[in-house]
Amino acid sequence: MHTELTSGAASAGARPAQPAMAGREPNPRAAITVAGLRKSYGSVHAVRDVSFSVRRGEIVALLGPNGAGKTTTVEILEGFRARDGGAVEVLGLDPGDRSAARGLRERTGLVLQDIAVEPYLTVRETIARQAGYYQAPRSVPEVIGLVGLTGLERRKVRSLSGGQKRRLDLALGLIGSPELLYLDEPTTGFDPAARRDAWNLVRQLRAAGTTILLTTHDMAEAQALADRVVLLNAGAVVAEGPPAGLGGRDAERARITFRLPPGVPPADLPVPAGVHDGAVVIDTARPTEDLHRLTGWAIRRGVTLSGLTVDRPSLEDVYLRLTRDRAQPGAPERSIR
Amino acid sequence: MTAAAVAGRPLRRRSNLGLVIHQVRYEQLSFWRNPQSAIFTFVFPVVFVTIMGALFGSVGRSSYFGGLSALQYYVPTIAALCVLGSCYGQLAVALAARRQNGILKRIRATPLPAWAYFVGLLAHCILVSIADIALIVGVGRLYGVPFPSHWPAIVLTLVLGAAAFCALGVAVASVISNAEAAPAVAQLVLFPLLFLSGTYLPIHSRVLNQVTGWLPIRPFNEALTGPLSRHTGADWRHLAVLAAWGVIGAIVAVRRFRWDPRPE
Repeated sequence: MHTELTSGAASAGARPAQPAMAGREPNPRAAITVAGLRKSYGSVHAVRDVSFSVRRGEIVALLGPNGAGKTTTVEILEGFRARDGGAVEVLGLDPGDRSAARGLRERTGLVLQDIAVEPYLTVRETIARQAGYYQAPRSVPEVIGLVGLTGLERRKVRSLSGGQKRRLDLALGLIGSPELLYLDEPTTGFDPAARRDAWNLVRQLRAAGTTILLTTHDMAEAQALADRVVLLNAGAVVAEGPPAGLGGRDAERARITFRLPPGVPPADLPVPAGVHDGAVVIDTARPTEDLHRLTGWAIRRGVTLSGLTVDRPSLEDVYLRLTRDRAQPGAPERSIR
Repeated sequence: MTAAAVAGRPLRRRSNLGLVIHQVRYEQLSFWRNPQSAIFTFVFPVVFVTIMGALFGSVGRSSYFGGLSALQYYVPTIAALCVLGSCYGQLAVALAARRQNGILKRIRATPLPAWAYFVGLLAHCILVSIADIALIVGVGRLYGVPFPSHWPAIVLTLVLGAAAFCALGVAVASVISNAEAAPAVAQLVLFPLLFLSGTYLPIHSRVLNQVTGWLPIRPFNEALTGPLSRHTGADWRHLAVLAAWGVIGAIVAVRRFRWDPRPE
């Protein structure tokens, strides 16, 4: 992925201004605005009350367990599903408005979870076919370079590996030079190097002005890429903020873990401690002081605190804490498979 | 000069015809490279008419074949068979599979209008049918079936039949939710009906012919037999029945077609 990225923002800025929605002051800095979104399937409330916004040029990760309403929310934004209530605006347009659909599709790109490519076309043909649907596509060689498929242009899609097909999928999402890109689990099945390349590409796209809404179960991915995280559970937003501060994570207590040699009971420690899986775990609001006391005690006693670590709860810990309690069956997942 | 042009990507809007040609081009590429579609859909009817010619090429006009020679009977019914395969069979199976693996959803997410997608498919199917029928008529000529003379009637019948069976194929793909079931369901409906409609053997039961006369295949056989073998013009009565089936198929297709693999 070494090709130079042409600026999506440059062409985006030049597109004719869309008419404002009646009775609504459009926010030119917002790519996506969702307010009070609701959607039910029969008696199942897949989305109860979802509100968030994505600024232009921002990467926002939508997180949440299966059935939390992520897919439904994104599909409403993409125009695949109708909403029951609430207001939605994507690039100043209403995705539920059929007359806006074609214009919106011209300016948005999708990378879906399914590897959806025709087996008998070559890499170049698959991308060129998609390019033909857009008014101002990126060039086919540029996109092939961006996603790292250079050298495979003439290969049939059916002979590509899973990871290569996923890159091709990514290429199809990028070819229209979208202002807004939806990425659904974009790096599932990638090896670590390919995942790192894909992350770099996403950052490159943002640098060129592309807004990205990322749906993922991979906390490391959200942490690495997202400017902000929106955490859904049971059809509602339970937390929102930068990944480092989600759920008040900066103010969270720290966790000190280590192992004591045999014969030294945890009760002897100078600070209150618990034992988990044979390791001593200390949850503390004052890690500096407690650590000082602990190490001082250990040196005086001649005890080694093996495997000593101090960490703060990870994004995953916060995620699990915030989504554990209110989990409930939500929208049906895929009917097939 | 727009910024897009500055960025080296001139704005262009393909004409509608250009979009359809773009679609047809890639449908054709996919079709001819897929051995399954190329052999079963395209080669099979040609092989079939060749075998029938080898078996019955010397059987002259007889009342069993309605006053036609055996090959005069089989050239139109096998031509109809090839339209069924390349329109109905191909679409029912391919669209169900494309929906299931997400290809349709991905197309829906592009600015390509739905009508352009379907017109492209129809044009692709008609092209395959025309090439196939030309070969079938050519093989028939080798076995002594004279070249037909009513070309406008043949083209009309072919295009109408192809459109009707494409609509029925899309309708079946819309009703089937599971791609694995699509080939079985499509064949299950098709195979007995082909037999009963006289595709493989002439049917001499009046009752049966009356019934199948209102179903789609027999009217198409008859409508092709006229201009291909009897040197008559367009068979309006049978074409009307065929058109009605096309409309029914189109209504079901429009009402039930889904791009998304998941139910609403």
